[in-house]
Amino acid sequence: MDQQQAFHEVVGILTPYAKNKAALESVGPNTNILKDLQVNSARLVDIILGIEDRFEIEVADEEADEVVTVGDAVKLILAKKH
Amino acid sequence: MDRAETLTANPFARALRSWFLPFDYPLSPATPLPLRHRLALGTQVLIGRLSAWLYAPVVTLIMRLVMRYRFRDLRQVRRRFAQIRADHPGPLLICPNHLTMVDSAIVAWALAPTRRYLTDYAALPWNVPEQTNFANPFLRVFCYLAKCLPIRRGGSRQSQQAVMAKCAEVMRRGEPVLVFPEGRRSRRGGVDTEAMADGVGRLIKAVPGCKVLCVYLRGDGQDAYSALPRRGERFYVDLSLIEPSATGQGIRATRELTTAVLEELLRMEELYRVHRQRRG
Repeated sequence: MDQQQAFHEVVGILTPYAKNKAALESVGPNTNILKDLQVNSARLVDIILGIEDRFEIEVADEEADEVVTVGDAVKLILAKKH
Repeated sequence: MDRAETLTANPFARALRSWFLPFDYPLSPATPLPLRHRLALGTQVLIGRLSAWLYAPVVTLIMRLVMRYRFRDLRQVRRRFAQIRADHPGPLLICPNHLTMVDSAIVAWALAPTRRYLTDYAALPWNVPEQTNFANPFLRVFCYLAKCLPIRRGGSRQSQQAVMAKCAEVMRRGEPVLVFPEGRRSRRGGVDTEAMADGVGRLIKAVPGCKVLCVYLRGDGQDAYSALPRRGERFYVDLSLIEPSATGQGIRATRELTTAVLEELLRMEELYRVHRQRRG
């Protein structure tokens, strides 16, 4: 599992929840999930659960709190997988 | 930049905060609340306790005489709540369904008479209203006095978890906290499982011995969400004490616990529908 792969998978998981579709076009590691993609904060847990299922990892509440950008999600996944 | 982030950016505030904080941001319900925040909560309780003698009777009179709100089987509801508290004086999370902006005040009034809260201020539930509803300075002061811990729904996870950390702290002291598991007033006219406030699950996990009092509240004329119940409304209130558990770990367990609370509210809503049909 490399960084690029993880990034694309995360974007795929985020896409249904992102209200700002234009921001999705230019999504990058520093894209803020709540502010830039305009994901409803109530849906963050759904996203993390989607990441758990896709990558077969377990995420603690405090680790989920640290996921602010797309890059944070990728970093979390890579840390869990290695 | 929200206020929390502004404080972090201010070097003087950072230095001052470090004297009181055994650790830096972030706060979470699972970790002990730093002294600075505990002192702030204590101050809020002290000022609230004194001012309650002024505002609580006024709020009650408005609900009773101006809005003419009434309850079905109020004595039974209050007796049941008193019994629940006698049997379980420990950490209690009160989770009502959510249809109007004054649900928390109506629930508090339904559970115990106002005079009870004046003599036993700790019994008055804390609640977690949406911060943007208190742009008015007068409302902000009232919110502070009335045991509110405002939260910004679209705010950063850190700021939200800081509020949850305060909720966990007061729950550990045995004071009830009221949180709406739907997170906002239901747009569906009934319990909405799509809009979950997973802070409920976090609090249940973070506070050992926590039980959840699900409260189903519905006015006879409340078909959809509104700012206020209609004048002269008569409320149905049902209580159910549960102790949800989870089989998963981490954030999955949080979701399981929140779902369990919402499913209990759904079950209570079904009972209400049956009750309503029988009443005709």
